[in-house]
Amino acid sequence: MTQTADRRGLAQRLFEPDRLESLAVVPKVGTYVVLGFWTLVVLFPLYWVLVTSFKIEVQVDSGPYFLPFVDFTPSLDAWNFMLFKNNTMGAYLNSIIVALSSTLLALLIGSLASYALVRIRFQVKLAAVVTFIALLIAVIIAVAALGVPWAAATAVAIALFLLSLGTFVRRFNAAVGNNDIEFWMISNRIMPPIVAVLPIYVMFQHLGLLDTQVALISTYTGVNLPIVVWLTRDFFAGIPLDLEESAEIDGASKFRVFFTIALPLVRSGLAATFMLVLILTWNEFLLALFLTNARAQTMPVLVAAQNTTRGPQWWYMSVLIVIMIAPVIVIAGFLQKHIARGLLVGAVKG
Amino acid sequence: MRVRLEQIFKSFGLVEVVKGLDLEVQDGEFLVLLGASGSGKTTALRMIAGLESVTSGRILIGERDVTNVLPKYRDVAMVFQSYALYPHMTVFANIAYPLMVRKEPKAEIEARVTDVARQVQLDTLLARYPRQLSGGQRQRVALARAMIRRPAAFLMDEPLSNLDAKLRGYMRAELKHMQHQLGITTIYVTHDQIEAMTLAHRVALLEKGVVQQLDTPANIYNAPANLFVAGFIGSPPMNFLEGSLADGRFSLVGGSFALAERAPNSAAVAGVRPEDCSVTEPGAGKIAGEVYTVELMGDHTLVTCRIGGASMIVKADKAFSRHEGETIGVDFADRTVHLFDTASGLRIG
Repeated sequence: MTQTADRRGLAQRLFEPDRLESLAVVPKVGTYVVLGFWTLVVLFPLYWVLVTSFKIEVQVDSGPYFLPFVDFTPSLDAWNFMLFKNNTMGAYLNSIIVALSSTLLALLIGSLASYALVRIRFQVKLAAVVTFIALLIAVIIAVAALGVPWAAATAVAIALFLLSLGTFVRRFNAAVGNNDIEFWMISNRIMPPIVAVLPIYVMFQHLGLLDTQVALISTYTGVNLPIVVWLTRDFFAGIPLDLEESAEIDGASKFRVFFTIALPLVRSGLAATFMLVLILTWNEFLLALFLTNARAQTMPVLVAAQNTTRGPQWWYMSVLIVIMIAPVIVIAGFLQKHIARGLLVGAVKG
Repeated sequence: MRVRLEQIFKSFGLVEVVKGLDLEVQDGEFLVLLGASGSGKTTALRMIAGLESVTSGRILIGERDVTNVLPKYRDVAMVFQSYALYPHMTVFANIAYPLMVRKEPKAEIEARVTDVARQVQLDTLLARYPRQLSGGQRQRVALARAMIRRPAAFLMDEPLSNLDAKLRGYMRAELKHMQHQLGITTIYVTHDQIEAMTLAHRVALLEKGVVQQLDTPANIYNAPANLFVAGFIGSPPMNFLEGSLADGRFSLVGGSFALAERAPNSAAVAGVRPEDCSVTEPGAGKIAGEVYTVELMGDHTLVTCRIGGASMIVKADKAFSRHEGETIGVDFADRTVHLFDTASGLRIG
């Protein structure tokens, strides 16, 4: 190797890599220093929460203590109380049921919607949309302000709407297309959720569904639909049309094409979307705070409830946070290979 | 089964891509739709499959009007240029898909898949996924999936264009053999004239959405209906000489030659195929010229000659020994000259 001795200067050797696919010494060191620092920033709070969950009140107040068995003697007091004496498992179960069912529902409905938006061309007359909204407002005014029975008002409005479809709506050509529908969907997410919380609360109050899992599941499903539609539409749009056309010639219905061809091909995308929506619902606090009370309470609300009149109960909170984080990490581990895999290899010529 | 297209028109917005297509494909016939890109051939095929609606006209498969019928009820099978194999299914599942959709009994599906797979030599690859196959193998899976249903008609959209030249030649022969054995009506779209000539019982040559000629490969080659067909079919293409015909002589800029027994015409195009021409000694032959370029192709030599203001390609022997700039004569027989009317482009003799 003497003949290929490095004749570059010191600065070049420090800053220029030997090969194109590797890093030089200085950038390498710099990169790992930054990464190491960031790892610390991310991992330390997790470590701190874990450690705190094994402390008792005195140890927290007189701390900080960092190392169990060295700084302080760990105790299972907080775990004991939270798991066996407090109704933690109820909230935990609520969280699991609500998060899983609303995520799966949002994924099913949302992917059907985004597939339709990608593959079917919609052209709804703008005049029909405007008429519908105008009649809706008229019904609300009639019922609320003028005391018209709601059944009568709705019946009249439906009749008027159907009549308008055949008559004056036909005169207008402006139509709402797929892009408008997609924008309308995402615009629902632009609005801050706090705006909608009170109407939603009142709605469930009237339905007698406050403090039920049904209320949370249906609200979360609705709230997360736009996200699912927007995330999955590009996955569906990326499927070669040939595949679906071939299936249709082979005799499959649209639903069959969706479930046997389209859906399996966007599996990785669906896994990523599932993960994201699951985490969003798992962590959701605001709506849960308003819509639940005791029976349907979820974990984020329970965690916040540990901030009591006697001050924040850090050790209890830490226990709750640890058991809240655990399942998400496990699921992410399972789905990781799906998220990273390119499934379309070999679909078309290659 | 018989496939009939009656006065099919198709527009995408303001662009009319198919203009009054009339076709009748006989039962068991192999018909090739040949044309350059943008000629409307793929659109025509997609309309037969039901993937594209027709703007006006009727499509009949057998005696049934399928103009407004969904693809799945048309009983046709299609092979796509991309093969369109389902990447998440094994070869077995790919081939079985049309039967599984129809909920055929499991044993029946197994038997038929095994049978078809043997016919296309895939029987050892049934457990693989498409991504583990070579181009030729994927092509055969696509064929097997089309064959398994015994459809009323095969529709093929440039199925060989993704294969390399050697494999394409092999698959072409396989395809022809298979179609002959199965006897299923086949409509095949291609831009490759060799595929059209070798595979078809009849060729429909399309240009700008209109059929230019519909005939057997031999007739299309030997008696092209117009200038477009004459120029499209044949490689290297037919030589065209513009001029006029009077008193048994065809005159062009910078020369003339005898052409007996044809009706006089003041503006005509004489077409001669390169293989019907030969290079002669200066002064001999039908018309004088000089060698412009010489290209050795291996088994023959292409000689481009300047004839007055025009140029002609002559297909000569591989031992051709003249050089650029030499004066020569070009000879061809009277009966090999195709005569076209300049204005209409139609064949006049």
